Amino acid sequence: MTSKKAMIVTMSSESSPINLQAPPVAPGPRPAQGLFKRNPPIAGEAEAIEAAKAGDQEAFSKLYALHKRRVYTLCLRMLSNVSEAEDMTQEAFLHLFRKIGSFRGESAFSTWLHRLTVNLVLMQLRKKGLQLVSLEETINPSEDDAPKRDFGSRDPHLTGSVDRVTLERAVASLPPGYRMVFVLHDVEGYEHNEIATMLECSTGNSKSQLHKARLKLRELLREAGQSPQPTVVKEAVR
Amino acid sequence: MTAPQQPISCAEFQEKLPDLFASGQNGVPEDPIFQDHLDTCENCTALVRDLQYIADQARMLLEPAEEEPSEDVWSNIKIKLQAENGDGVLSLPSPLPS
Repeated sequence: MTSKKAMIVTMSSESSPINLQAPPVAPGPRPAQGLFKRNPPIAGEAEAIEAAKAGDQEAFSKLYALHKRRVYTLCLRMLSNVSEAEDMTQEAFLHLFRKIGSFRGESAFSTWLHRLTVNLVLMQLRKKGLQLVSLEETINPSEDDAPKRDFGSRDPHLTGSVDRVTLERAVASLPPGYRMVFVLHDVEGYEHNEIATMLECSTGNSKSQLHKARLKLRELLREAGQSPQPTVVKEAVR
Repeated sequence: MTAPQQPISCAEFQEKLPDLFASGQNGVPEDPIFQDHLDTCENCTALVRDLQYIADQARMLLEPAEEEPSEDVWSNIKIKLQAENGDGVLSLPSPLPS
């Protein structure tokens, strides 16, 4: 039996300015699971950055070629809209090229660029949200979109393995607030306290939204007939 | 002698789950009362297993998708930068294929 429960998310309605000029170096995405996996060195990147700082135009195009897919993918995942994702990709690189002189190399360039992009997207969403509905309503999905609680349901648990395309689709269909926290935490590797700062909510809200996002994904993946590999995870349970 | 603790319900266990995952325990409780529940409840065990798996699989999304932004994006960037720097000052070449 499953029961549905209305979810209350309290978030500050105050908006604080987001610094797009110089993305914070620290803390950035967590290094857990391997900083090198998340930010592997890219051949020719360091030289291109220095050349771009000196105004080398070919270096700009090289940096764009190196990072366009990751920036676009991040925008697309956060926005779930191709046109908006392209607009934000464009804005992110414009900001990058205008402000590349402020990049000091204290963090990986991709980390810096990702933070810049995340801040831009959030600012864009906040702008839209302020015009239409409050941020709280934007972040908090309707009850119909909320994940069902799983108190003793006899639904079969998920079997098989999740392929990337199915997971991408499921993430894209999450309510915006769930999707945002899931992408920032589980994909991009931000900590709850960082997400709370970026989204202007409490860390408790961030944890709660993430949990609901995973519950909702579980539902969506069940519907799609996909899921976990029990043997791998079962050992961790006990 | 202390009285044995009452078993908890699925609802009580699941209320605790966001904190269990956030504390880096991947939903695996240290508190015996929650562990006892997990040991005896197939439903919550399956739930924890699935949520762990979803969190693990999310990492494969870090790698960029196959899709790329359209060529218009780079064209627009060039136009805007040229406008900001004075017409004709910047002549950005097309980016190399990634």
